[in-house]
Amino acid sequence: MPAPSLVSAVVKRPWLTKLLTPLAGWYANAAGYRQMGLRADDLIVEENETVLKALHRLSPKESYDRIYRIRRATQLSLQHKLLPKSEWTKPEEDVPYLTPIIEQLHAEDKERKELDTVVVLKKH
Amino acid sequence: MICRPALTRGSQLALRRQGAAKLAQRGFAAVASPKASYEPTSIAGVKVASRDDNGPTTRLAIVAKAGTRYEPLPGLTVGLEEYAFKNTERRSALRIVREAELLGGQLSAYHTREALILQANFLREDLPYFTELLAEVISKTRYTTHEFHEEVEDIIRAKQAKVAAPAIALDAAHSVAFHTGLGAPLYPTPSTPIASYLNESSVAAFAEAVYSKSTIAVIADGASEAGLSKWIEPFFKDVPAESPSPLKVTPTKYFGGEQRIPRIGPNSMVLAFPGASLSANQPETAVLVGLLGGQSTIKWSPGFSLLSNATATAPGAQAQATNYAYSDAGLLAIQINGQAAAVRKAAEAAVKALKGVAEGGVSQENLVKAIAKAKFNLLSGSEVSGVGIVHAGANLVHGNQPMQVTEAVKALESVTADKLKAAAKTLLDGKASVAAVGDLHVLPFAEEIGLKV
Repeated sequence: MPAPSLVSAVVKRPWLTKLLTPLAGWYANAAGYRQMGLRADDLIVEENETVLKALHRLSPKESYDRIYRIRRATQLSLQHKLLPKSEWTKPEEDVPYLTPIIEQLHAEDKERKELDTVVVLKKH
Repeated sequence: MICRPALTRGSQLALRRQGAAKLAQRGFAAVASPKASYEPTSIAGVKVASRDDNGPTTRLAIVAKAGTRYEPLPGLTVGLEEYAFKNTERRSALRIVREAELLGGQLSAYHTREALILQANFLREDLPYFTELLAEVISKTRYTTHEFHEEVEDIIRAKQAKVAAPAIALDAAHSVAFHTGLGAPLYPTPSTPIASYLNESSVAAFAEAVYSKSTIAVIADGASEAGLSKWIEPFFKDVPAESPSPLKVTPTKYFGGEQRIPRIGPNSMVLAFPGASLSANQPETAVLVGLLGGQSTIKWSPGFSLLSNATATAPGAQAQATNYAYSDAGLLAIQINGQAAAVRKAAEAAVKALKGVAEGGVSQENLVKAIAKAKFNLLSGSEVSGVGIVHAGANLVHGNQPMQVTEAVKALESVTADKLKAAAKTLLDGKASVAAVGDLHVLPFAEEIGLKV
């Protein structure tokens, strides 16, 4: 099950999206992961079957880059340092690369559950 | 005075005689026999061949010109075959499978050297659903990366591991006979390097090249023509009329030669000669195949066929003659499988038997038997749905007419002993294609058993 989220409710209302976008930008910067060169999707907990499967579906390049970012961040954390400002993750780089795959896997699971419990109504 | 029983008895007898005469007049073929041949038509630019016997089930197949002969890179045909019925833009692979199950349908994909066949067998009333499904599979499959890594690759690897000595020998014989094109292996062996050629994007490009209206044929066995013309038009709208990047096709040339492959386990030998192509009018080849035969078709006797008599002297080996017919070439192959020593003996005996036909001809009795066998092979082959569909489809995508069964049977009857003798002589005078797989210390060279390569 994906975690409950209000994103879809906000995106449906353009005025609310407009209102909250600057706030979301401020929050993402304040969370501090960008200062360590990470992306938001690097923070997804990977100790579950769905995310593990999603990680398998990444392209080799994306997978390599992800590991690089995480190892760099771990090193920074050990050294109690931040990256120089020029290397911080820029907001336009902070794109979801794993979430779409996880959503696709959730959709597959949902479809399988629905088909497993389908009730057939014969109309002819 | 005439007693009543006598009177009635007479009239009964008379009646019975009348009835018997009528029966005799009616003969055996009074029951309306189903059409033996496929009727070719064209619906909305798609080549269609159909045959309707009004049965409760239908077999609908798309035959595409995408067999191993046409693959630009090794392994693409098997990749495309495994991608059949996977995720499309409209529905997932899981949904396709579950829906087909709910309707009681059977989906399958298989290939020959010239054609890739996507087939659905289903109940007659579900024609619209399966027509839509097949059209969707060829025009809207997504060829996703994760399916390639999670499913397609594994299945290809598992099937590769199952490729056995007889298949390898047959592939080797094709390879020395035709080099490229028809010489490509029907299924790549585990030692064939395909990994660098086979990936989801190369398969998608191959699909784009081969799934167009000009390179596919729809074959329907047991579907009404009205239903086909009603449903093919709307559902095949998204299939392009011409492929943007059509495949190059080079005409086949026969070379001949010998190939020997060492292998642990079962042994196999193929002795092949130029045979009859799909469109060729060579009934003597079919009769020769009937005469060579192989497996006995009756109980408790090796039968009349030359090969079964040849293997009777070499227990532990089985031999079988087949004419592999393709659009512009054919290969008459004698395949011998079994233990190495027995295969050697059977190969020697098989060539001796063929030489016997070329020199001494064939007895009238054996000729009659061989013609009858060839007729049965032809008719039962066109009746058994799988073979019939592949044949009709292969003919149609290569621009020929589907085989006319009645004419083909008539041609078989016209074969004489002299023609058969001449046919056998041409085979032995030309270059043979010989492949030996297994224990090469025992298996003979072509030269040793008296074949020219």
